[in-house]
Amino acid sequence: MTAILFDGIVQGLQLSLLAVGITLIYGLGGVLNLAHGQFAVAGGVAAALLLQLGISPVLASLGGIASAGVLGLIVDRTLMLPAYRYRGEERLLLGLILTLGFSFIVDGTLNWKFPEFSLTFRLPVPLMDVAGIPMRTASLAASLIAVLTFAGLFAFLRLTLLGKSIRSIIENEVGAELCGIDPSRTRTLIVCLAAMMAGVAGVTQGLFSSLGTEMGPEFTILGLLVAVVGGVRSINGTLAAGILLGIVNAFASHYVGAYVAYIILLSFAMATILVRPAGLLARFT
Amino acid sequence: MPEAPLLSVSALNAWYGESHILHGVSFEVPRGEVVTLLGRNGAGKTTTLKSVMGMVGRREGSVRFGGKELVALPSNRIARLGLAFCPEERGIFASLNVHENLLLPPVVRAGGLPVGQVFDLFPNLKERLSSQGTKLSGGEQQMLAIGRALMGGPKVLMLDEPSTGLAPKAVAELYRNLSTLKSGGLTIIVTEQQVALALSLTDRAYVLEQGAIRLSGRSAELLGDPAIKKAYLGVA
Repeated sequence: MTAILFDGIVQGLQLSLLAVGITLIYGLGGVLNLAHGQFAVAGGVAAALLLQLGISPVLASLGGIASAGVLGLIVDRTLMLPAYRYRGEERLLLGLILTLGFSFIVDGTLNWKFPEFSLTFRLPVPLMDVAGIPMRTASLAASLIAVLTFAGLFAFLRLTLLGKSIRSIIENEVGAELCGIDPSRTRTLIVCLAAMMAGVAGVTQGLFSSLGTEMGPEFTILGLLVAVVGGVRSINGTLAAGILLGIVNAFASHYVGAYVAYIILLSFAMATILVRPAGLLARFT
Repeated sequence: MPEAPLLSVSALNAWYGESHILHGVSFEVPRGEVVTLLGRNGAGKTTTLKSVMGMVGRREGSVRFGGKELVALPSNRIARLGLAFCPEERGIFASLNVHENLLLPPVVRAGGLPVGQVFDLFPNLKERLSSQGTKLSGGEQQMLAIGRALMGGPKVLMLDEPSTGLAPKAVAELYRNLSTLKSGGLTIIVTEQQVALALSLTDRAYVLEQGAIRLSGRSAELLGDPAIKKAYLGVA
């Protein structure tokens, strides 16, 4: 029981890393990024390639994360420009189409170039005792990395001027602009940051399990579900929702199988939209 | 030679999508004056303010502010130059409390009011410091929007229908506050449905009809002319 719970938390933190990126890009850019899982996979693949070149695992991981960030930067500055010319619904719809198309391109390219690919850091995995449960140190390391990433993100958003600008825009884009904040500059930064967080998720996936080139769509879908349950504008809510859905997923997969687990997760997201449309932790108004 | 007006709008045209809303609006706002834009619903008052602020899809003409042309600038640049706009929907951060609303947006201009002076001006806000934006009354939301604008150190404050949805007592208080700001020398542009109220505060008035200025004059003179009021403003 407890082992499944821990497993769920480990998975859940990875989902949160993906979902927070989706939340940030939606909150700031008004686009639901359907290629977000592909950022994660691309980051993982880049890390694996660097690893094959004989670079140390730590540097290879950082390189993979940076590659995901660069990919995000390029996508924001090129592919997304037509969508950013519009606002509101038009931007959302155009953004859906553009990012979906981009996800097919990434999936196709990766499956074609690296058909048998999977990233695992072949590190010795000693077991460690946590509350009487033997845990793989790799899982603990992956969770620790996720927690540190979140701590960094929260500190950035709370303490820096840029972070405050970003929160202002997420709260109310028109209001922020009337306070003199330029949304387009901060948007590029956020897309890059979100892609890097996806890269962290991709790379750490290789740390405690394995990462395949075909996993992009699954990451995107799970990330979207978590973002919806967390409330697509709330970062705290998304973090909590990731852990919660990770746990739900772990139990459901263990007892009723992976496909039914998906249906349960979808029902969860649906129920959230019906009962708490602004997300799990939304303040009552 | 008299000083050039702080804000001067000439031959301003604006479109929302295909519909042509403003047809060559021109008006001037001298430094330190309070100006009102009047007119019926749909006459183009809000669109005029939004066009000055760069918030409409397409605009042509000229908006000169302190000698600088604004017509091609995005609204965040215009805000940084010192034009503050409180839209009718107020643009406050609904899920944040009063204090966070005032302190969250980074200050992008020097010369703004410190938060303490905002509370001196609007003591109500101080009492509701930890209330969430959406829980405030309409009047308090309006004061929060104005307070946040003042923290940005504006040279011109533009208010779109600030009395909309406010109880009569809140309207009276709002106009007392605006009068205080006026005597402090702030340049203000306000659109208003309550004609007599607006004319009593302001120095100068422009009356809009179908996206163009039909009439302008000193507010005191318009206030004393019942024929004009009846013809242009739909009030007896």
